[in-house]
Amino acid sequence: MSPNIIDGFSQASQLETILAVAAGCFIGLVVGMIPGLTISTGIIIVLPLTFVLEPEISIALLLGLYVSGMTGGSFSAILLNIPGTPSASATALDGHPLARNGEAGRALGIAITASFLGGLFSFLCLYFIAPLLAEIALKFQSPDLFSLVFFGLTIICSFAAKSLIKGLLSAVIGLAIVTVGQDPMMGTARFTFDQVNLISGIHFLTALIGLFAVPQLTDNFADMMKSETVTKKAANIKSVLPKLADLKLMRLPVIVGAPIGSFLGILPGAGGPIAAFISYDYTKKLSKNPEEFGSGSPQGIAAPESANNAVTGGALIPMMTLGIPGDPVTAILIGALLIHGLAPGPLLFIENGEFAYGLIFSFFWANIFNIVIAFIGLRYLVKVLVIPRTFLMPTIAILCVIGSYALRNNFFDVYVMFGFGLLGLAMRWLDMPIVPLLLAMVLGRQLEEHLRVSLIASKNDVTVFFTHGFSLFFLCLAAASVFWSFWAEHKSKQKQEQLEI
Amino acid sequence: MSNMRTRNLIAGIILLVLCAGYAYLTAHLPTRAIENTTQPSFFPWVITICMAVLSLALLAQGLLPIANTETPKAIKVPIHRLVSGLILSVAYFVALPLLGFVVANILFFAGLMYLYGERRPLRIVAGSILISLIVFFLFREVFQILLPSGILQGVLR
Repeated sequence: MSPNIIDGFSQASQLETILAVAAGCFIGLVVGMIPGLTISTGIIIVLPLTFVLEPEISIALLLGLYVSGMTGGSFSAILLNIPGTPSASATALDGHPLARNGEAGRALGIAITASFLGGLFSFLCLYFIAPLLAEIALKFQSPDLFSLVFFGLTIICSFAAKSLIKGLLSAVIGLAIVTVGQDPMMGTARFTFDQVNLISGIHFLTALIGLFAVPQLTDNFADMMKSETVTKKAANIKSVLPKLADLKLMRLPVIVGAPIGSFLGILPGAGGPIAAFISYDYTKKLSKNPEEFGSGSPQGIAAPESANNAVTGGALIPMMTLGIPGDPVTAILIGALLIHGLAPGPLLFIENGEFAYGLIFSFFWANIFNIVIAFIGLRYLVKVLVIPRTFLMPTIAILCVIGSYALRNNFFDVYVMFGFGLLGLAMRWLDMPIVPLLLAMVLGRQLEEHLRVSLIASKNDVTVFFTHGFSLFFLCLAAASVFWSFWAEHKSKQKQEQLEI
Repeated sequence: MSNMRTRNLIAGIILLVLCAGYAYLTAHLPTRAIENTTQPSFFPWVITICMAVLSLALLAQGLLPIANTETPKAIKVPIHRLVSGLILSVAYFVALPLLGFVVANILFFAGLMYLYGERRPLRIVAGSILISLIVFFLFREVFQILLPSGILQGVLR
């Protein structure tokens, strides 16, 4: 066994790291279950902490939040028929009918157990696949890396948007924002308007806080009284531990959901909601009792829950090995790593092997604490649902402001955050996804650097991108994702026209 | 013309204008006299071209019925709340460096509580003061993040 694995395990098992994972899980469950708060918002809330904590501790905290946020989303989906996170939308289809029949505890127990099993499967994928992929990625040269990042961006645009053009535009806007500041090759100041604050560019975490938090805070103006309806149903929870019969029923959905979730997690942009619905659909097709789906089937709860939690480990694979985030949460994890001077990518396993394995084992602990805290604290945790939004939303607002300020101890970043909030509102009005913009901000500098290095090395010969095997492979995948997206959009338009007729 | 087509049209025009501005700034970027290398303006030009093509495509989607124009289900936010929230936020951001995090946060918090529907004065006063102070001291004392205390600098050392 590699010494890095042993060191990583001992790093992840230290008291401070374990406590951070447990705290992250607790916050994740709370944030995930509150409708109107996403996991990204939860991460934004704890973001300032990551600036002062040790890297392994801050990452452990964020991983706990990520894993448990997925599970917490199912609580409100089951109890209120309102998914706490988009990934829990499919869980509500069967979870809420079961809760309505007076079996809320059973539904929650199934959801928690399936989440744990899905998460555990994705941990195994992460543990075995990530080091192998990192080894392959070490062979990549600049043209390959450019094409890989390019593919990452195109596939995110394909998945994230109903309209490919809007997805691509979102990414291009993100790339344009990244060009503000010093040019990565020569250090020339670009688009800085003689502002000292712009020399080092716009920090993507500032953008992220604005893009996610401001639209969410304004949304909550619309439904301020929802918390009042929770109390009666939340109180009606009996035994939560799943019975043996339910565990047997969960075999099929977990076998289907966990691999689907892990695979889709690896694909940048696909994410939890898609995995949950695909898993639900396949389990329904393979189930002996498909007619029960939609009316409180335990399999209908386990399928999406195992899939959406399996996404978490899957999404960490490209993040750790290639430096490509699969979703906004892994993008924030990259940001948190960069703040501590750790660059995710294939070299992470070579230069910081102990840290890389520590991260993997922290993910393992996150899944363990997720199930433990969820089972033990469920009855108390659901009481959070009655916190009035009149307190919750202003608290989030000031935490976002402090988070933006604390990044560089600078009021300028607070204003930039607000500007991005307004941009987020405008993009929502246009039905333009914000995820491509965000990920373009994370990947933009790498994209430019690899493009320019490749061109300099090849003396401005663009065929270099087609003569390298890996590069050609990624470009083909990028083209396929674009064509698939166009085809899907065309089909959707045809469907819309038929409906109009 | 459907609602989304109008939005596409407006956004297409705005993006084209922004693209033109970006192109103008790119054209005025400094050049480096180093052989066999790409200039700092190289990548911005790539972006300009992509943005121009995509903005034109969006404009075309606004003018012609060539794309799915299903308008997303809007979340009905009362417009007066939205405008009040915007004014409150701008006032807060202006006041923040002057008043510091404690006083500005208390006022902002109280304003937001009111906008989110709280009407009981005691709750607004107690909630805004208590939570703002807890958050301030939590970050300053526990997380060691130095937050300016503004006009309370003499009191909160």
